[in-house]
Amino acid sequence: MVELRDVSYRAGSTLILQDVSVRFRAGRFNVILGPNGAGKSTLLRLATGLAKPTHGQVLYDDRPLDAFDASELARMRAVLSQHVDLAFPLPTIDVAMMGRYPHYNRVPTSHDRDIVRRALEMVGMREKAQQPYPTLSGGEQQKVQLARVLAQIWNYDEPPPGASRPHRFLFLDEPTSSLDVHYQIHLLDVAKSLLDFDCTVVAILHDLNVALEYGGHFVLLERGRIALEAESPDAIGQADLERIFQVRARRLDDNGRAFWRFGL
Amino acid sequence: MSVTRWTVLVLSLIVVMVAGVAIGTINLSLAAVWHGAFGVGDTTTVYIVRALRLPRVVLALLVGAGLGMSGAALQGTMRNPLAEPYLLGVSGGAAVGAVLATVLGLAVSLLPLAAFVGAVVAVVIAFFVAHAAGGGTRGDPRTLLMAGVVVGAFANAAIMVLLARAPANTVQDAMWWMMGSAADATWSRVGALAAYMLVGGGALVLLGRRIDVLALGEDAAAGLGLAVDAAIRLVFLVASFVAAATVAAAGLVGFVGLVVPHIVRAIGVRQHRALIIGSALVGGMLVVLSDLLGRILLPPAELPLGAVTALIGVPFLLTKLRRLT
Repeated sequence: MVELRDVSYRAGSTLILQDVSVRFRAGRFNVILGPNGAGKSTLLRLATGLAKPTHGQVLYDDRPLDAFDASELARMRAVLSQHVDLAFPLPTIDVAMMGRYPHYNRVPTSHDRDIVRRALEMVGMREKAQQPYPTLSGGEQQKVQLARVLAQIWNYDEPPPGASRPHRFLFLDEPTSSLDVHYQIHLLDVAKSLLDFDCTVVAILHDLNVALEYGGHFVLLERGRIALEAESPDAIGQADLERIFQVRARRLDDNGRAFWRFGL
Repeated sequence: MSVTRWTVLVLSLIVVMVAGVAIGTINLSLAAVWHGAFGVGDTTTVYIVRALRLPRVVLALLVGAGLGMSGAALQGTMRNPLAEPYLLGVSGGAAVGAVLATVLGLAVSLLPLAAFVGAVVAVVIAFFVAHAAGGGTRGDPRTLLMAGVVVGAFANAAIMVLLARAPANTVQDAMWWMMGSAADATWSRVGALAAYMLVGGGALVLLGRRIDVLALGEDAAAGLGLAVDAAIRLVFLVASFVAAATVAAAGLVGFVGLVVPHIVRAIGVRQHRALIIGSALVGGMLVVLSDLLGRILLPPAELPLGAVTALIGVPFLLTKLRRLT
């Protein structure tokens, strides 16, 4: 579980997050929603340790984030953002291998190589392992980045008898915003499949209907504060959406599940 | 990269170095070069080989190696294919520092240190401008380049002013500093530069893995547990140190740091540890070759080293610039 306790974040004189307390549920697909400028990315940066809160504390399984050293944290949680450009034509497999950076010292071991191969296999990019990353399409590049973060927090190996798998955390910062629908579903399916391997997922998603379909716990932000927390899609009401997103919302029924249409 | 390619690279470097010793106003046979290197043969030949050409070739080799390594590290860290010590103003700043030290009459052994201080000042100025123009810790690449080039131009002006009244026979003249030269190489200068290159180059190679991770961008690198700002600063300091030492030894030699890493990438090297080592070899080769060309193209005149490397580097830069997005 990742917990933010009374967290505030100030950039210059602007208060971006104000007294936010939230628990991202272990083993679930947590979704952060909210209009532009609500502080979603900042919340994610604080939760991942990429930025430090002005006030408050971030805890992973009740242990404060400050207590982890950088590479220990990097072996436990990974962050996938919108898009990663490379200035130089590294082959795909080298990009994926960067996920093992926190794990090996000088040269990757055969275990590291094996993990990277399997990660590329999982995202369907094994055949393009030797192709220069910049020549891939945007969707393929994001698949490679997904393989990189899978390799970083690799948790598929069977734990030793009697032991349980360690907890892992995957953070997604609008990972699908430049992807077409095929790549979008693929990425979210892979992320969701991690839940079966003691991984907690926390994602910022901008498409509300996609978020409702994949999410298992919802945090709605509005102007730097938590506007609503919901355990199921049905707990998010029309009035909430209209108020938070400044739109008119209409609930449709998709075989018993909520599907929203929006207008101004 | 395969062992074969490394072997070819090292062998080519040796061939170029032998050519550098053999070819000149007086051409020497391979046998004369070989014997002369060991002090065997007539005194003139031995003198030409051991006191004139060999130190010159080795100095050129070290200068090229340093500039190549510095460029490779800077390009990777900046994620900018045009980054190199000369264009970033690092070399210019180093030259001003070194010239200031000579004008003030400081000991020759302090030259590299003064050059290093000048280099750091120049890089801080260029960064400050690029950073103010936006683009994150590393600044907007185009603004950074522009700032660097302008800082370099300012450095040239400063060198002219500083040396305007210096007696010509006591210090290297402005031309030597601005266009670079390996002509007055001595073994003591070679030895000092070799020590700096080993220390600085070794440090850059050790930083190679961090530079690899920086290629992903700041957030992704931080997500992998890298202390991004500290890593960038460290690479900059070491790369500036290496470039500054070459400037103190041979003046401003431009564009080597730009061209060389691209050549090494083109032969299939990707990871920065190998890229930095490969850039040392190719950089050494390029500068030894440039120095040789400068000696033989328009005899009896000797072209400045920096002029030859600019003739090679500028067309290359222009084609790269065309494709920079």
